[in-house]
Amino acid sequence: MSHATHPAAGGPTCLWLAAAPLSLFLLLAWGLTHHALPWHVDASWVPSLGLSLGFRVDGLSAQMLALITGIGTWIFVYASGYLAHEPRRGRLLGVLLLFMLAMVGAVTADNLILLFLFWELTSITSFLLVGFNHEQAAARAAARQALLVTMGGGLALLGGLVLLGQMAGTWTLSGIIAAGPDLAADPRLPYALMLVLLGAFTKSAQFPFHFWLPNAMSAPTPVSAYLHSATMVKLGIYLMARLDPAFNDLLFWEAILIGTGTLTAVWAAVLALRERDLKRILAHSTVSALGTLTLLIGLPSPGAALAVVAFLFAHALYKAPLFMVAGNIDHATGTRSIDHLMGLRRAMPLTATAAVLAGLSMAGLPLSFGFVAKDVIAVAKAEAEVLTLVSYATVFVNAIAVAVAGVAAVRVFWGPPEAPRGQVHEVSWRMFVPPLAIVLLGIEFEFFPALADPLLLAAARSISPQLGVVELSAALDLDVLLSATGITAVVGLLFFLAWDRLHQALHRLYRLDERFGPAAWYEHLLHGLSRVAAWHTRRLQDGRLSSYLRQTLAALLLLGAFAWWAGDSRPLIGWDWPDQGWAWAVAALLIVAGAAAALLLRGRLAVLMASGLVGYGSAVWFLFAGAPDLAFTQFMVETALVVVAASVLPRYGPSSSRREPWRWANAALAAAAGIGTFLLLAHLQGLPPNAELAEWFGRTSLPEAHGRNVVNVIIVDFRALDTLGEIAVVAFSLLAVLPLLAGLKKRRAA
Amino acid sequence: MSLIMMLAISLVVSAGVMLALSRDLFRLIVGLAVLGSAANLIVFMAGRPGSLVPPLIEAGAGELAAAAADPLPQALVLTAIVIGFALLCFALVLGAWLVRHNGHDDSDRLQASEPLASDPLKPPLMDE
Amino acid sequence: MTPRSSLLTQSARPLYWILLAAAVWVLLRGHNEPGGGFIGGLLAVAGSSLVAITLDVRAACRLQPLAPLPLALSGVALAVLAGLFGAAAGLPFLTHRWTEVGVSTVMLFDIGVFCTVWGALTGYVYALLDDGEAAP
Repeated sequence: MSHATHPAAGGPTCLWLAAAPLSLFLLLAWGLTHHALPWHVDASWVPSLGLSLGFRVDGLSAQMLALITGIGTWIFVYASGYLAHEPRRGRLLGVLLLFMLAMVGAVTADNLILLFLFWELTSITSFLLVGFNHEQAAARAAARQALLVTMGGGLALLGGLVLLGQMAGTWTLSGIIAAGPDLAADPRLPYALMLVLLGAFTKSAQFPFHFWLPNAMSAPTPVSAYLHSATMVKLGIYLMARLDPAFNDLLFWEAILIGTGTLTAVWAAVLALRERDLKRILAHSTVSALGTLTLLIGLPSPGAALAVVAFLFAHALYKAPLFMVAGNIDHATGTRSIDHLMGLRRAMPLTATAAVLAGLSMAGLPLSFGFVAKDVIAVAKAEAEVLTLVSYATVFVNAIAVAVAGVAAVRVFWGPPEAPRGQVHEVSWRMFVPPLAIVLLGIEFEFFPALADPLLLAAARSISPQLGVVELSAALDLDVLLSATGITAVVGLLFFLAWDRLHQALHRLYRLDERFGPAAWYEHLLHGLSRVAAWHTRRLQDGRLSSYLRQTLAALLLLGAFAWWAGDSRPLIGWDWPDQGWAWAVAALLIVAGAAAALLLRGRLAVLMASGLVGYGSAVWFLFAGAPDLAFTQFMVETALVVVAASVLPRYGPSSSRREPWRWANAALAAAAGIGTFLLLAHLQGLPPNAELAEWFGRTSLPEAHGRNVVNVIIVDFRALDTLGEIAVVAFSLLAVLPLLAGLKKRRAA
Repeated sequence: MSLIMMLAISLVVSAGVMLALSRDLFRLIVGLAVLGSAANLIVFMAGRPGSLVPPLIEAGAGELAAAAADPLPQALVLTAIVIGFALLCFALVLGAWLVRHNGHDDSDRLQASEPLASDPLKPPLMDE
Repeated sequence: MTPRSSLLTQSARPLYWILLAAAVWVLLRGHNEPGGGFIGGLLAVAGSSLVAITLDVRAACRLQPLAPLPLALSGVALAVLAGLFGAAAGLPFLTHRWTEVGVSTVMLFDIGVFCTVWGALTGYVYALLDDGEAAP
């Protein structure tokens, strides 16, 4: 994405937009110094549905907020430089701002549904940002993939949250965490947690959903630095950390988190060796870091909470600058391939400085906050007696992190400069100041831990309330640390030196992953979906009206059959012969004759008259069943029908004797519908009579509605709203038919 | 006695379905009307008719006699009859319009809103 | 169109008025005896259709207080208006009110039903009878 040759696009630089996250950051800082955590805001929203605009900020939320707004400020500064030649930067920055607000909402929401809404909003904005270069097919595919994976997980999350809410009887996150230990006995808990974890794993790119994150690197670099390293992908981590105090006693919670986290961390580290694209290398290492975070959350010791928040913090502080560095290199040279990048330090000294300092932190070497974080992690692991396998895995993962840091910070900047590639020069201040600033902040925290300590400790205590008083810097355990750092540094150096050779050696493994890995499953699934859709539109939606009717009817009959089978029905068939039985018999005869004639006759007028006969038969029945109003109405309607029909028939032309291709299917459906109706009626007859309504209407009609004709009173008074709707339908149907009539007449005139 | 009525109503439903599934647009519309009548009959039948006495409160009486017919299904069916008639009129006009504009009355060849399954517009069933 | 007998042509208007009177009578007594807005409306439709068949659509249209569509819509408006009386008194919409002299919002509502049925169905009948002369 080189814009060096583009003419500068007009319009504002949008630098002022950085004021939005900055003001939020300052507000947060002011709040933290003046008001004790946690803060609550609760406004009623839809009380009947248990929805409230409930927000709660505790240590963990405050830490996330600090990252979102603090790094967000520098991201906006960076973006104003990076996108200086992008004419659509206003749109990108607008969506980015929306994303930031969604993140702020997601990490502060206390209501489950609210949390879900913000969660999904981050997915949608991420989709828009990844697909920003929508003229590229790869960007579109990556955006769709990110959306489908995270949205699919979001659906699972919704299910899990609703289940949790029902089990705990509360819709607040804090309420569920408080009720957490009591839920352990509930048999639904494993399902609920699995669903929630599905949501968290897809969002935070855990195996086997990790593949979307490297592909999302088709987003502009400010987006990658912000969403796909520092903030959005941490949302899943945030949720798991948030729920950890409630469920960390459960063995399967611990097992799934440690297992998935380790697997993700290791596999992503292996995959990082595959890439030649600097951004994708960083993306894989991000996935690896997310795996480490998941693993740390799964560890049961209180110290692990400190490790989680420290590493979360450190990772954001070095990964965002590294992405910015990659963006700067891309911007200056027009490529991100490590095969073509060398010796850039002379041309880009400031970017190189930022890269080295961030790389130090990523490698966990002294002089960086990463060093502190690594120390805390080592202590936490020693405390928690993790499996030996996990220990080896983390050494490997950390070594790869060292190697990646080497590639991103050393390999591309050192060594002999490549053949002069035009005028490679340092980027504008808006692009090198942000990474430098963030990195220097990290270094500051190393030397003055008191600045970050209170926030990190508060965050750790929201994950693990029983955490004692510790100081990050005092926790330095040199033995543990030096051995761990020493080993990983040495192994990492080896990986760094052997990077290209390993890349070759692992070639076959990568081919296997391409063919059978989760990304391939995703492609198969997507392909299968479109095949199902094709089958559906070809076979079921075949564009013929009668097919749709047949399908609808068949489905209805199946539903009815199921209800009959599942229900407890006592069908009843009455054999009684009432006083007016002969009249009923005549009515039934008329109805049957009409129905049969309509079916058998071919002429149009005859069919219509036969259907009228059904109506006349009904009228006779109504007359002899105590319903004179009905009888009269039916007579009038059937008579009017004759008038209408006589005038409309000529417009249909002569009746054609057309072959009915589905004749027997139709007949079978018709027979089934008849049988179904009979069973329905028998079922209705078998229900215990309930005259409550009839008695109520009969009792209240005169004294309350001043009417003796109870039917009319029901129509115009008791159920007047219903009637209003019905006459409105009658009137508006005429309105709807007017254009059709105009069309009929126009043709006639022509 | 209700057996006879139940059989008659079931037959009306069958006839209505058969008509509605026809390719002849006119028969289709009549079929919908017949199904509408059947629905009215089902609702009325569900009210357990049997009394000859209309649901009118006699002069001097304060409330409906116990022997009177149930007024509720009558009220429901009465409005349904009128609405059904309006909709039948609407359908007949719509049908006439379709016949005029398409030049035929084959309900399976009404492709204004959706092409047939064989149309290349629809996604292919198999991979090319 | 059906051949027009002179006897029918002559008696169409008187018959119309008789049918209309019957319709109004059925409408007004409907609250206490069999009848009501729907049935009355259908009777009125029968009267108007009679005129439209024997004379012509224009004549039938002229005999109505309003053209079919405005008649139907004003019927709905009347019914809504009837409901507003209750709402104005702070009661739920469509809560009916009675006066001492026997005039009530129920009657207004039923007249609304009557007009809607009369207007809408004559609209259809005229449109289908008519060979493209008058609009409904």
